[in-house]
Amino acid sequence: MSVTYATVRVERDGPVGWLVFDRPDAGNAMNARMFDDLEAAWRELGDDDAVRVIVNTGAGNAFQTGLDVAQLAQDRDALREQSRRTKHFELKFTSRDNDVWKPVIAAVNGVCAGGGLHFVADADIVLMSQTATLVDPHVSVGQATVYETIGLAKKSPMEPVLRLAFTGVHERMSAARAYELGICSQVEPPERLRDAAQKLAETIAQHPAEELATVKRALWNALEGTQRSPAGRSLQGRERE
Amino acid sequence: MKYPELETLKLERVGPVGWLINNRPEQLNAMNALMRDEFELAWRALDADPEVRVIVHTGEGRAFQTGVDVAELASDGQGMERYRDSVERWDLHFTAWHNEVWKPVITAVNGICAGGAFHWVADADIVIASSDATFFDPHTSVGQVVAIEAIGLMKRMPVEAVMRMAFVGRYERMTAQRAYELGMISQIVDPPDQLRAEAQALAEKIAKNSPAAMAATKRALWKAVELGLTDACRAGAAELVSMWGHPDQEEGPRAFAEKREPNWKALTPRTGAERRPGG
Repeated sequence: MSVTYATVRVERDGPVGWLVFDRPDAGNAMNARMFDDLEAAWRELGDDDAVRVIVNTGAGNAFQTGLDVAQLAQDRDALREQSRRTKHFELKFTSRDNDVWKPVIAAVNGVCAGGGLHFVADADIVLMSQTATLVDPHVSVGQATVYETIGLAKKSPMEPVLRLAFTGVHERMSAARAYELGICSQVEPPERLRDAAQKLAETIAQHPAEELATVKRALWNALEGTQRSPAGRSLQGRERE
Repeated sequence: MKYPELETLKLERVGPVGWLINNRPEQLNAMNALMRDEFELAWRALDADPEVRVIVHTGEGRAFQTGVDVAELASDGQGMERYRDSVERWDLHFTAWHNEVWKPVITAVNGICAGGAFHWVADADIVIASSDATFFDPHTSVGQVVAIEAIGLMKRMPVEAVMRMAFVGRYERMTAQRAYELGMISQIVDPPDQLRAEAQALAEKIAKNSPAAMAATKRALWKAVELGLTDACRAGAAELVSMWGHPDQEEGPRAFAEKREPNWKALTPRTGAERRPGG
């Protein structure tokens, strides 16, 4: 039953499951092993009925800094598989990628860069440390930024996301600005972040699990279409007197 | 590259930055029929110039832009009818988005931004403003419907603020500060006379990034506005994959490792046939 992880930690604190990126010396970047660990960790926390809410954070100074390109370059099979998943939008990084319908809180403890933005875009609720920043270096290294920034743009004003995308490594968004824009809803001193996330998760965990899952599905589903009502409410006949 | 001589707009290039400047300051940069036509020429010229990596759009004088030139409309008996056909056919060419310009576009709002001016706020990638800029939409106060510009804004910022501007019309102005709070703009420049310098600096920062990667990103993100989340990502996959094997994808990490500025591949100017698929 118990899974051994090398690159993440899975912990439980009351009704709250914690998924912690744990490659602090590498800015918590995702290597081939972390792809597998993430998939297994989301499954473990998703399948455990005692876990009502999940908090996702990082060990050390960084939250998450995207793909570990250097490591992947040496693991041809992992790179090929990852390329295939990327090409077909079949990623397995985040809770949404892995079909977990429990509330997920991202507790952004430090820099969140590039592919790390997947975990902000796909979280339900985002907390940030005062010292945390968002940055998207893709275009500065000759890569397009697509899934992460589309996800962010669907959840927040678009202009700041375009600015993040086009300024690349040359600008960072502060936690204070992310709060103003509604990209995160709470900013805490670094030493308070973990407790704040645990407390918020416990508050949410008081609600029935089935209801939380239903609401989560309904609200994320609302980002899939352009219509407000399922059938697209008709205004015909009411347009003019 | 030589730009066309235009009467209502100024075009110039400063380093990697192409400038498009509304140049009817006496009319608060209102758009007459000639300006409407010249916009298309201007966007095409800047888009076709391989030296231009990023485009900044601003205005001369105390206004950025104030919509359509009402004086011209009132003077020749045609009124808005002259534009009926092009609007109904959605055959518009006065913004970067209309002209499918995939270079990053910064709108630098230098003063009054009223009514139709929101076309260039809604259709820009990045918007900055001088601290004395004001934003309002007088359409309904003069018996006109506002639709296209406001819809564009609603897709990129909180809806309530857009509805309020639409209904309050000319009786209220939004400040640059409020526009910043709402994420309509990302930077306020104070003192106002530093706007162009700040816009140039921002554009030069952006110009350090891969032109091809930015174009692919821009296509994916603007397409995403038209689609739901998952469909947008699936559609964006083609843009993402388009960079695989591109020389910039090798050059970026190499330049980083060698601690130097990357030498990106310039975008290939598009031909007319590419620009207008299907006609």
